[in-house]
This record gives sequence, structure tokens and C-alpha cells, in this order.
Amino acid sequence: MSDSFPKIKLSAVEKRFISACGDEQIALSQLDLEIESGEIVCLVGPSGCGKTTIINLMAGFEKPYSGSVQIDGKPVSGPDPDHIMIFQDYGLYPWRTVLGNVLFGLQAKGISPGEASDKAMEALELVGLVSAKDKHPHELSGGMKQRVSIARALAVEPSVLFMDEPFAALDAFTRLHLQDELLRIWQEKRPTIVFVTHDLDEAITLGQRVVLMAPNPGRIQRVMDVKLSYPRERTESNFASFRKELFEEFHLVHRQALDGVEYQI
Amino acid sequence: MNSKAFKIVLPLLTGTIFVALWQFAAGRYTPEQLPAPVDVLKAIKELSDNGVLWGHIGISLIRFSSAYLLAVVVAIPLGLFLGRFFRCHAAIDPLIQVLRPISPIAWFPLAVLWFGIGNAPAIFIIFLAAFYPVLLTTISAVRGVPEVYIKVANNFGAGSRMTFLRVIVPAAFPGIMVGLHIAVGTAWIHLVAGEMLGAQSGLGYMIVDARNFLRTDQILAGMLLIGVLGLIIYRGMKAFEQAIGRRWGVAS
Repeated sequence: MSDSFPKIKLSAVEKRFISACGDEQIALSQLDLEIESGEIVCLVGPSGCGKTTIINLMAGFEKPYSGSVQIDGKPVSGPDPDHIMIFQDYGLYPWRTVLGNVLFGLQAKGISPGEASDKAMEALELVGLVSAKDKHPHELSGGMKQRVSIARALAVEPSVLFMDEPFAALDAFTRLHLQDELLRIWQEKRPTIVFVTHDLDEAITLGQRVVLMAPNPGRIQRVMDVKLSYPRERTESNFASFRKELFEEFHLVHRQALDGVEYQI
Repeated sequence: MNSKAFKIVLPLLTGTIFVALWQFAAGRYTPEQLPAPVDVLKAIKELSDNGVLWGHIGISLIRFSSAYLLAVVVAIPLGLFLGRFFRCHAAIDPLIQVLRPISPIAWFPLAVLWFGIGNAPAIFIIFLAAFYPVLLTTISAVRGVPEVYIKVANNFGAGSRMTFLRVIVPAAFPGIMVGLHIAVGTAWIHLVAGEMLGAQSGLGYMIVDARNFLRTDQILAGMLLIGVLGLIIYRGMKAFEQAIGRRWGVAS
């Protein structure tokens, strides 16, 4: 694979949808973004800024109205086992055990049972859930469930992980713990990670770059390089200064969004 | 007293009061109008001793289970299909909505014209009674499969066959079980109706036959047996459902 093109490239992407009142709204307008191979990029922004729409476009669950979405230089035509999405509500199959869930992707690939079970166990080991392999999802905590869905993704060795607010439903301690776990896995496997969140601290903890988005219409407000080495100390002064910068920009976006709403009324 | 003891004592108390009221009421009427509880037990013993009862119960159970299984075997695949293909469902749904409110008993004259007297009209009626609950719950179970399950399957590159058999069917299964459960009840209720109308055997026929000879004790015996057998079947179904739930990892 040549280094001449980025891993993921969005050019002049526009997405429209018909609102409940019947008029057409622009969810994303003329959006350009390039993500390098092995990079962690966090998308943040207030609700309605289209961050989930972008990740769905990249993962192939939605199609752009105009413009192009390319991964590895090829246009995205649909979901791909090489680009796995991790959902906030886990998407685990309750009738399968933990191991069965992790095996699903390998079975879909048609990998032989012996090899599949080796790979699944390896992935479970990576997220520290080997001992829970025979449990059903309803017996697990939210954090464990999300680790299972991460293991299920890692088992098929994807080059890209899309994560749509994966830790938003978890309590604060579990969230911090999983952020560290994710970074550890990323440093070991080096997938490209696109991570959507509304938590600015989470974005600065994880992202090499943080893309701040603004609503009405959804667009990129600012791309911030977080030049901090991993593991990041959340209490460090550099961390705080990035945090301050992002918060100020976020407040600006938020105020603009609110003004926009007032203006519409 | 703990709650477990209450669970035994309270129903026993209700049963005793019911039998006492019945006994009291029976004292005020002739045995032809309302026989006493003891007379009904005697009637059951009499029917059992002369061997008629077991034959009737046997044939009723055979009709019930064959019609029920037939309904399940037809309704589940049809429901899976209609739940999956929105356009087909949109086309067929109006027809289902019109046919469904027609009581299976209303089909009886046609059933006799088509199938004659015997097992077939009774089986047809029980079939109809079980068919709609299974069909409708299967359709809504398939349509209620969370979107994220399908997205995950597509994302991992599962083919349409794997998505259907290993995601949609198991995801819809608990919902389908509810339909199977409801259908047991409606089918059992219509068993008696079906047998009263056309058959020459079975518990429903036994009641009609007893009426012709004004054996009120045997009428009540038949009713009591239908109730008890219905309860046993229902309980069996519930145990089966719980076992499935544990296997599926959804029951607590």
C-alpha cells in the first residue's frame, strides 16, 4: 500500500435528509477530512453537528448525497469487515455467549472452527475477558459488554475501527479505564481509529487529532493537533491547556448554534 | 407464615370456598340442573371405569397437537418471510386483518362442506385458532429485531443466509415463543368448539353426548377435565419457554 494517499479521505462530502416536517435539511456541508493510517482521530461537537453521520458514511452504513468517501483510495460502497463499527449499545447477540459473540465475525468470514476459536480466545485475552467466555451478555456489566464488542471487532483484525460514542453509557470510572485499555490495544495493534464522542476530556485523552464540529449545517469548525505523548496524564498542565482551548472553541460553537436557533424562531 | 406457604394455602382456600359454594348452590337445585361436586367426581370415575374417557381425551389431544403443530409449521415460516419482506407484508396485511377477526367457529359450515364430518373440520378450526397468534407475533418479532443486530451482521460481512438464520431467527425467537404460548390457549379453547360441532369423539363430543342424555354430571365432568388439561398444557408450555429462555440467555 502506498503512502501517497491517506487511509481515509472525505472530499466535499454533503449529506441531506428530509426532516419530520418534510423539508430538506443539510446534515453535512462540503466536508473535507483526511485521516492517516494508524491514527486516532476524535470527532466532537454538540448534538446535531453530524458527527454520527460522518462515521456512518465512512463505515458504509449511509451514502453521501454528493462528494466522495474513500478508504485506501477506493470509494466506500457499503459495510466492510475490514472496517468495524463499535456501537454505543454494543450490538451483542444475547443468545450467544461471550465467546460465541466474538466468534461471529470469524464465522461470517468462513474461517475454520479451530482457527476461529484460537483467534477469538486471543482477542478475549487482549480485552481481559477470557474467564467470562461462557457467560451470556445479560450477565455482564456495561463495561464488560463493550469490551466483548471490542474483542469481536479485533478478532477479525480490521485496519479501521469506527467507534460511535462507545463509552457514553458507562459510568465515569469504567469510562476512564476503557479509554486506557483502548490506547493500550491501539499501541499494540495500531489500527486506524475514528472515535465519536461528546466528552471533550475523552477526546483529548485519546485523539492525536481532535476534530471539532459545528451544527446547522454540520461542518468542521477546527482540527486540533494534540501534541501530547501517550499515556496522557489527565491532570498534567499541558493536558489542561489543550482542554481549555477546546472548551473555549466548543463554547463558541455552542453559542453560535443557540443563536442560530433563536434566529430561526 | 412465609410467602411460599401462602402460595399453597391461598389457592387451597380459594378452592375450598369454591367447592363449598358449589355444594351449597347444588343443594337448591335438582341434580339435572346442577349436580354436586361429589356427583361430578363420581361421573369422572364412571367415565374412566367404562373406558370411554381415555379414548375421548386421547383423540382430543391428538387433534389438538396435530392442528397446533400444523399451524406452527405453517405460520412461523410465513411470519418470518412476511416480517422480512416489507412489500409482501404490505400487500398481504389487509387480507390478514380482515380474516383474523372472523371467529374460527364461523368457518365451521364451510369446513364441513369441504372436509366432511370427522377429524378434519375440528382440526381445521383448531388450526385457525392457533394460526393467527403465531403468524402475527412472528411478523412483529422479526420486525422488532434491533437494527444494530443487522448492522453488525452486515459489517462483519455475513451473507443474507447467515444473517437470516443466525441473527434474525434467534433474535425473533423470544417473541415467537410468546405467540406459541398465546396460541396454545386459543387452540385449546377452540378444540371443544370444534368437537362439539362436527366430531363423533373427543371431550367436546363427550359434553354434547352427555347433554343429549341430560347427564349434567358428565357435562360438568367434561368441563372440569378440559380446564385441568388446559392448565397442564399451559404449565408445560411455560416450563418449556423458561428452559428456552435460559438457553437463549434472556431469562433471569
